This record gives sequence, structure tokens and C-alpha cells, in this order.
Amino acid sequence: MIKRIIARIDIKNNFLVKGMHLEGLRILGYPEFFSKKYFEEDIDEIIFQDVVASLYKRNQLSEITSKVSKDVFVPLIVGGGIRSIKDIENSLINGADRVSINTGGVNNKKFIKEAVNIFGSSTINITIETLNINGNYKVFTDSGRTETNIDTFEWVKEVEDYGVGEIILTSINNEGTGKGYDLKLFEKISNKLSIPLLAHGGARNPDDVYKLLNDTNVDGAVIASAFHFNYFKELYEKKKIEQTGSTNFLNFSEKKNFSINIKDLKKYLINKKIDIRSL
Amino acid sequence: MTKPLAAIINLNTNNILSIRRALEFVGFRTEIISENTNIDKFDMIVLPGVGAFNCAMQRLEETSLIKFVNESLNKEKYFMGICLGMQLLFSESPEFKKTKGLSFFSEKIENFNKFNVNKKTFIGWNQVKFNKNFFIEDEDFLNFNEKYFYFVHSYFVDCKNQKYEYGTSFNGTKEFVSVVKRSNVIAFQFHPEKSGLTGLNLLKASTKNFFS
Repeated sequence: MIKRIIARIDIKNNFLVKGMHLEGLRILGYPEFFSKKYFEEDIDEIIFQDVVASLYKRNQLSEITSKVSKDVFVPLIVGGGIRSIKDIENSLINGADRVSINTGGVNNKKFIKEAVNIFGSSTINITIETLNINGNYKVFTDSGRTETNIDTFEWVKEVEDYGVGEIILTSINNEGTGKGYDLKLFEKISNKLSIPLLAHGGARNPDDVYKLLNDTNVDGAVIASAFHFNYFKELYEKKKIEQTGSTNFLNFSEKKNFSINIKDLKKYLINKKIDIRSL
Repeated sequence: MTKPLAAIINLNTNNILSIRRALEFVGFRTEIISENTNIDKFDMIVLPGVGAFNCAMQRLEETSLIKFVNESLNKEKYFMGICLGMQLLFSESPEFKKTKGLSFFSEKIENFNKFNVNKKTFIGWNQVKFNKNFFIEDEDFLNFNEKYFYFVHSYFVDCKNQKYEYGTSFNGTKEFVSVVKRSNVIAFQFHPEKSGLTGLNLLKASTKNFFS
């Protein structure tokens, strides 16, 4: 099975933002510049996540994805605030190829089943945000803000039974930190599932991605900070981001060598015999 | 020269904007069709996919779009099916409940979960082995054969070595049909509109007749 390299773009108020442990969000720039660049660099897929949509009960990615789809011809997964059939239709009309549901599905399991029945398994992804609290992996909603009593291992099986096409799993402990993926978590969960699993949270360099794809059965590596940091400077220097970006991030990423170039990553993985899309 | 006009059939459950953007990139004008309309002004009819087979057939019938589709198939209009839009051209699918399709091809759709496959829902990139004769120009075969395209599906058309099979792919050890062609009808199991530059170039190569 060909493994996928996926960029994740978190959006708040029309800007690409990034934080750590899903908190402390800072503006890095315009999402359409980053996504166009990632497409030109041969990214396999892009996730657009509205990180405040569930909290504010809204969904405003349509304008962005509609713009992005003029330049980006790889699949777009859209998530954040998806809680009705109408929300899904609206996303698909505006450039999404698949949608991802988290809070809306935890709060209303019937909605997941209904969505699968109408749009087919393969259109419906489930996003799970999990926090390891003393060895127990708990499901969180509202972009990591709200703790639930749901056990992550039970939830993945449950949503698989509902017929969803794929799961995107974020490790909140590792997210934004660059300390590598939580390999044990992803190994355990990928071995339990017969549907694809995408792993998110922790990638700092190509070797982190290699370990994830080599040591576990996940289908894709989701990367946010490390890509953004790598391309931020170029986009910043081109004055595309102008006053909107936060340069503090640059110092942080340079100091920690926290950066991945998509083309270099793909070369690195191909050299190490990981099966990925080559052109 | 006016650009050729493509009708994109709207089933409410498909990724309409993605296919529209890709066709415009390739050089088409596009019009979204949500109800039965006179087909004469269109140069090509596109039936995109995403969604469940039974819901899509129901929607075609409720909106009488099925007349539009059948008329274009009968009049041998240029027609392109994508993903579910390819499967709908076949005779029957078991997705959720057994449902009759458009029966332009006689085979039935099958579910991956009955077979020895890697994933019962296949999401991602996969290679396509093309039949040389698919292409209008021979050199295109080399540009596309065994290249990666983007697939999202849990159902498939089994290989029977029929003459309309123009491309095949594998999920695990199960070989399935990924490209079909019969007279002016072509259809892809994958999403050329979402397969990067390779996909856009394939759309171009498959519609060269409109641009020469």
C-alpha cells in the first residue's frame, strides 16, 4: 500500500495558524499561499481544519477551499464544525473532496451513520484528538479543548463499525512539539483497524516520518509545523505573507532544526524503500 | 475558437467544484446540470462521483437527470464517468442495498470486503496499467502507464478481460478495472481531477479531440 504524505493547515479567522498541543495559536500567513506551494512540491493531500469552528458553532472554510481549488489538484479534506448533512454538501460544493468529523460525531453518533449512508464511506473521515493522561488515551473534542469520557481505542473501533472511510488521529501530547510521533499509539491503533489511519502530531524531521511509516501500519503521515516552518521563510521573503506572519516561529524552528522540505522528504523515504507516490 | 462546453451532472453528493476547476484548467467551459436539460449544446457530459450508489441512482431518478444521462449515452455524446460516475454506468451494485445502475456496461459492482485486499476502503494513490489503445496518440501511453492516480473507493468492477477494459489496478492481490471505454464513453475509477499534474494531463490527453 502506497503511504501518503499529507499537509495539515489549521485555520482560524481565514489565517493559517499553528500552536503546540493544539493551543497557543499564532498566525503564520494565508492558507492559499501555503497550499499552492505544497501542491507544487508534490504533496499527496491537504487537510484544512477550522480550529475554532466547533467552539463558535460555525464553518467558514468554504471561501478558502473554493479559492484553493483553483490551484491545487490533489484531494482536500475539510474538517472543523461539520455537524449536519448540509455542512457536508456545502463543503463538497466548495472544493472539499472528503470531510472530517470530530465534535459533531462525538455529540451525535447517528450523524456519522447518516453521513456514511448518504455520501458513502470513503467521503467520511473521522478526526480523533487524543490526550494520554497517565497511560489512558482519552478522546477530546472542540480542537483539544473539551475532555470526554471516551476511550480512544474503543472509539476507533466504534467509528469503524459505523462504516467511516478513514481516521485521522492527532496525539495532543506530541502535536506542535517536534518530539516525533507517538509510535506506540499509532502501532497499536493501526493494527486494530481495517480502514486507513492517518497519524498526526510530532514530526520534526524526515527521520520522524520514516520511523512512523516503517514501524507502524499507518497509511499516511500528517505534517503541519515542520512544513510550515520550512516554507514560511520563502513565502515571507516573497512578501506574500507581509505583516500577517509571526517571525518568532522562525527563530524557534531554526534553533531546533524543526523543518521538513516535501521533495527532500520524499527522496529520503524512497531511498529508505518506503512505498510512496513518485512522479 | 470557442472553448468546448462540458456539462457536469450535479448529484448533490459529489465534489462538483474540484471537477469543474480541473476541466476549466484543461480548457473546457463548464455548466453544472441539476435537472434534465437539452443536451445538444454540450460537447461532453461528465458524471462525477462521490457518494453511495443507491443514493446517486435515486437522485438521478428524482431529478429526471437520468433522462439526460440516458439520452447522452444513446446519442453517443462524449461522456466521462468518474469514480462512482463510472460505477453507475454498470448494471448493479450491492452498496447498502442492491440497486440497478444505468447498465451501459453489463458487469456488476462488487465490494472489496469479500476479497483478500489490503484495505476494504481504498483511499490513496495507486498505479494504473493502461491499454495502449486507450490513447488518441501513442506517445501518451508512456506518459501515463503505471503512473499514480488518486483512488477513493470501497466497491469495484472485477476484471473479466472484456474488450472495454482499458486500464486495471490492484488492491492487494485483487485486480480491478480502473479505466473503461466504449465508443464515446470513457470512465475512470480514480479521480483524474485530484491526481496532481498527472491527472490534469490525463484529462487533456483523453479530450484531445476537442482541442485539435
